[in-house]
Amino acid sequence: MTFLSIQAQEDTVAAVDTLSDSYEGWEGTAGFEDASIFVQAAASYDLIFIVLGVSLIIWFILLFFIIRVDKKVGRLEDEIQQSQNSSSHET
Amino acid sequence: MSLKPWKYIVAVWLTVVIAAGFLIPIPEIDILQESARNLFLHVPMWFTMAVCFAGGFIYSIKYLNNPDPATDFKAESLTQVGLLFGICGLITGSLWARFTWGSWWTFAEPRMNLSALAMMIYVAYFVLRTAFDNPEQRAKIAAVFNVFAATTIPFLLYIIPRQLPSLHPGAEGNPAFSEITAPELRYVFYPAVVGFIALSIWLYDILYRYKKVKYQLEQQRA
Repeated sequence: MTFLSIQAQEDTVAAVDTLSDSYEGWEGTAGFEDASIFVQAAASYDLIFIVLGVSLIIWFILLFFIIRVDKKVGRLEDEIQQSQNSSSHET
Repeated sequence: MSLKPWKYIVAVWLTVVIAAGFLIPIPEIDILQESARNLFLHVPMWFTMAVCFAGGFIYSIKYLNNPDPATDFKAESLTQVGLLFGICGLITGSLWARFTWGSWWTFAEPRMNLSALAMMIYVAYFVLRTAFDNPEQRAKIAAVFNVFAATTIPFLLYIIPRQLPSLHPGAEGNPAFSEITAPELRYVFYPAVVGFIALSIWLYDILYRYKKVKYQLEQQRA
């Protein structure tokens, strides 16, 4: 899988473009092609992966709480069941 | 107590649907572009809402036939989940409108306004419920109101918008979902409908059981 690398300031009409030179000389971009696929994806224009990642994080957090509440209600049901059973034994 | 297996299936199913919804290549459609992926969220929201409201309608009639608190809990829980999905449908629709029609809300658009009105009718259901302290009275009045609210849904969301000029698909000469819909979209759309309806049943199940537990505890205390 290949990703388009960042093209800083390429498409903008900046009157004084002081950034392009700085970014080209920025040491952080050195060896970018050798970086891991995650780093390349996050720094690319293929942002649908980022959108997917964020959506999945939100979904998993929601899922975590749904499952937790479901289990808690289940535990309460068990407790009520047990207390009913014990009270029916007493009488 | 562990979860029922079908709930894990729903969790995995929807995870796959979300991932596939973002990752599958879709054809380039004029105006829609990548926002066509919203089809997998927006339309299932309304389908799920319709299923939930229909369920609530049935339980409300059941309650009027045979007043049992559990039936009222079922009707209330289903209506709550339905309203949640309806609001999600409004939000996804508004977002979609922003990127295709250029505006978050179009006041000339009958389908938007009427669906918002339908949601407000259902909000009134919950406001009405808070007005009664006596649970039997509350359940009975709420059931009557719910029968009225559910009967407005087909008119507000389906019949009237189709009679009026509208940008929204599903009006004259602008089919909502037809043979022009790309087959690639269908591969995710149908599983998404199934997944969101299953999720709504799960949420309903939690809400209903919670209400029952609360009721039982109140009975024990009394």
